Amino acid sequence: MLASITACKPVILQRATAIQQNPGTSANIPENLVLSTAQRTLIDAVQMQLFPKDGNGPDAQDLNALAYLEGALQDPANIEDGDPAFIVKGCSWLNDMAQRSFASDFTSLTVIQQDRVLNSIASTRAGENWISLLMYYLTEALMLDPVYGGNIEQKGWRWLEHQPGFPRPTTGKTYLDFT
Amino acid sequence: MASISTKHTQDEFDICIIGSGAGGGPVAYELSKAGFQVAVLEKGGWYDEQDFKKDEMLSRRKIFRSKIQNEPHILESPKTDGTWSSNTTGQFWGGNIVGGASNFMSGYFHRLKPEDFRLLSEFGPIQKANIADWPIGYEDLEPYYTKVEQEIGISGKVVPHPNLEPRSTADFPFPPTAEHPIATRFDKAAKALGLHPFPMARAILSRPNDGRAACEYSGYCGSYGCHSGAKGSSRAALLDKCVNTGRCKIFTHAKAYKINTDNKGNAISVDYYDNGPNSHQAPSRIKAKIIVVACYSMESSRLLLSSPGQKHADGIGNRYQQIGKNLHCCAGGTGHGIFDLSKLNSSDAAALKIRGPFFNRALQDWYFIDDKEKFGGRIKGGTIDFVFDPPSPTSAANKLKRDQDGKLVWGSAFKHRLKSHFTQSRDFKFEVFCDWLPTDECHVSLDSSKQDQWGSPVAKIKVGYHPHDLKVAKYIVDKGVAVMKQMGAHSYYGNAFTSPTANLMAGGLRFGKHAHSSALDADCRVHGTDNLFVTDGSFMPNGGSVTPTWTIYANAFRIADKIKMQLGSPHKS
Repeated sequence: MLASITACKPVILQRATAIQQNPGTSANIPENLVLSTAQRTLIDAVQMQLFPKDGNGPDAQDLNALAYLEGALQDPANIEDGDPAFIVKGCSWLNDMAQRSFASDFTSLTVIQQDRVLNSIASTRAGENWISLLMYYLTEALMLDPVYGGNIEQKGWRWLEHQPGFPRPTTGKTYLDFT
Repeated sequence: MASISTKHTQDEFDICIIGSGAGGGPVAYELSKAGFQVAVLEKGGWYDEQDFKKDEMLSRRKIFRSKIQNEPHILESPKTDGTWSSNTTGQFWGGNIVGGASNFMSGYFHRLKPEDFRLLSEFGPIQKANIADWPIGYEDLEPYYTKVEQEIGISGKVVPHPNLEPRSTADFPFPPTAEHPIATRFDKAAKALGLHPFPMARAILSRPNDGRAACEYSGYCGSYGCHSGAKGSSRAALLDKCVNTGRCKIFTHAKAYKINTDNKGNAISVDYYDNGPNSHQAPSRIKAKIIVVACYSMESSRLLLSSPGQKHADGIGNRYQQIGKNLHCCAGGTGHGIFDLSKLNSSDAAALKIRGPFFNRALQDWYFIDDKEKFGGRIKGGTIDFVFDPPSPTSAANKLKRDQDGKLVWGSAFKHRLKSHFTQSRDFKFEVFCDWLPTDECHVSLDSSKQDQWGSPVAKIKVGYHPHDLKVAKYIVDKGVAVMKQMGAHSYYGNAFTSPTANLMAGGLRFGKHAHSSALDADCRVHGTDNLFVTDGSFMPNGGSVTPTWTIYANAFRIADKIKMQLGSPHKS
């Protein structure tokens, strides 16, 4: 019975694995992802604000947080929650706010300006939810097993001295293989 | 309900057990071992050690649990203004899998005390609480508590203390599991306070036994399935052996929805949906001489209520409207002692950071409370277990994104919070267990306005609590906080709760001497039937001030003996 379940390797896992095996190489990210190139650039910048390179552990890019997010947004449970649409919508709000405040796209702003824009949208309920959701996925990229595409080389675990359990999930034995 | 297309199993069974958890496993084990033909209907699939990776996503996605969208419950809870809230919930599903929720228990095991079997005569009535003495005594269950130690595999060490229950054996068959350094610190602190700390027994093998490996001390226990087989789940400890007898057939993905009865009121068959691969939820029927219900308290009540028959107009055994009544949870609370590692010397800090061995300590100094100033006389109290929560690092990290005021924190400030939490502090927890008194405000009924994915009315669970429970819980939580303070924790706090402990429900079909005030007789046979038994925690009139799992296992072994006697000699085929 179990064999029949595990034989059906979900497409999303294949994507996550492909991303994990080729971090940072956008050419290897499969087609038909949720985010456009512009949205991807914007979220990359936001993630680096939320989880910056500051000398204290890995930053968002070190964790492969963007590719992790793109994989996670194809998880049926996250789609059911409406996350992909909400995250795409939030990209527009953020750019609108950047334009209103500084007459420029978010990605063209200085780090300080970007932080001000983030604080501005955080003062609205929807904006706050949007940042909160991006942080939810960031913490997944930080602390979940690398098999899911984030936490590259266990950088998150090593930074936080986290001892994983064993046996760890492996390709073909992740949560996606039981659904 | 059975339609023309209903599939009938060709096999004949002596006994059909609905549910394969702690209530069902012992009956399947004993009866198949004795030579009887046993069928087990289990709604979930068969997963085992090879499937139980230490993967936080398995619990985040509730992979081995029923889903709220398919099988909701309606939960009615008291509000502070005296009205009741009504919400759809999925929190009561503990394990949609062979072995049930016992796959995901922590295995903190305690016996009840003799006084728990006679709560009414020992402590007297409490207004608006439906307290009742049990129809059996501790001495009736003691041999089965001992049997569970061996068959399920309980590790521990008997240390005398004022409220140690009587035992027929000197000690546990398996030595204690490995202990975390915090246990030594705890013992010293508790003794300094004049208390009597003792090692908590665990349903976890400390050494290999009977084909099962010993604990691997991965530090990921509790809600994580056990990879070594050391955890005494019904599946690992019992059901594998049942199947090996060749006389036990476990029907997985089989959702029972009705028990059929004859014109004498006795059970004759069970209707279920076969949800296995390619079965297309086919309505099916299975016949047996004895039928056993062990689906977890609210679901066992729901099944009886959903099974009206010629002699059971309002559901099986419900002539006196006792089915679903007197449900209970575990009252109590939790508390924490948090150590700032930067304030400790390096060896103490390193010791507290160890992950793998267990805390494994408990206090029962307040199992009975004789505090005249607070309570006016001797009352029933509770237990404090000192434990580790199963790690959920992703959830912990996500919680840190908000500060004490609920405001989002990001950037370097967020990273600083993460680094400090994970590397510079350790949080040790205690859990308080005391009686959730049965009342008229805590029960199960059918909600005809809401159906599960198969179109059956779902269970409506009303969870009113008795104010006495909260008073007792607060009293004991304060004692736990004092212990944490004595241990040298840099911050410490505790809270009593009144919300239901979703994974520790019992009652609803309590056993008793009289049909007008109970659902089952002393042998856990449903009143008004000769051959329908209930062997999960539903039978308990009160839960004791401990987790009930050891008692559920023990009672199921006891009822297995009663069923064997009733069936006589097995067929020799």
